[in-house]
Amino acid sequence: MEFVAFAIAMAVAFQAVKGYRLARERTLLYLNFSFLLLGAGLLVDGLANLIVLLSKFHRNFLFLSRIGYTIDFLAQLVAYGILVVVYLQQTRAWNSQLAAAALPVVLLENNPLTELVLIFLLVYISGQSAINYNVSKTTNSLLVFGAFTSLVVAHVFFLLFTIAPIFFPFAHISQLFGFLLLLGMLFKVNQTQ
Amino acid sequence: MRVIQREENQAKPTRILYGANLSHDRLVKYLDELKALGVIQESGNDEKVYSLTQKGIEFLNNFRKVEAFAGAFGFKI
Repeated sequence: MEFVAFAIAMAVAFQAVKGYRLARERTLLYLNFSFLLLGAGLLVDGLANLIVLLSKFHRNFLFLSRIGYTIDFLAQLVAYGILVVVYLQQTRAWNSQLAAAALPVVLLENNPLTELVLIFLLVYISGQSAINYNVSKTTNSLLVFGAFTSLVVAHVFFLLFTIAPIFFPFAHISQLFGFLLLLGMLFKVNQTQ
Repeated sequence: MRVIQREENQAKPTRILYGANLSHDRLVKYLDELKALGVIQESGNDEKVYSLTQKGIEFLNNFRKVEAFAGAFGFKI
């Protein structure tokens, strides 16, 4: 499922860069970076899950899956962070005096703290897309709102997965559903006359 | 360009001036730029009329898609 979501993320990134080439709007470039990172994270996550499967046959692969999860988490953190920053700039709530926190890079496992950070970012992004839908009332904005909400739900399930493995498939289905909604938005945009 | 398209692809300068809410100097400047880019063309001897070229129509269609895409995320172009 990650590979499907990766392909859709790349399609969104491509649409964004196409738009940037035409309109030279920086927000589209940031959107491109964001979805490129998301796609990269999803690809790594997909490969990491394959590695986890292989780890059943060889213990050494477990270490690689931790690297995979770390890269995926960092990619999502930066990707959603970029979107949050862009939304903040749009609403003029941007404070230029940002303290750059240098976080030591440690290898992470799927744990509640990392998921909470991503949920926090995604809830903000979902909120912004809800406001946008409320203002514009277009199908495209509804699809984007639905997509980010699905990603929030997905990460809630990933959070619950740290407690009980049964939530794993729900997390991935919800994530895939979110990206399918983005694909629907892309189809609709390309039909615009 | 949108004003020209709204006028069924035959717009006089005055229409464009009011439709786009431009000053005369800016209008002349932008029309010259658009002509140089090949997205609009001028016709008529006594009374100038502007229309979109095929390139201009394609550009406008693509720009609409970009606007729809950016608008889906709540970004204004």
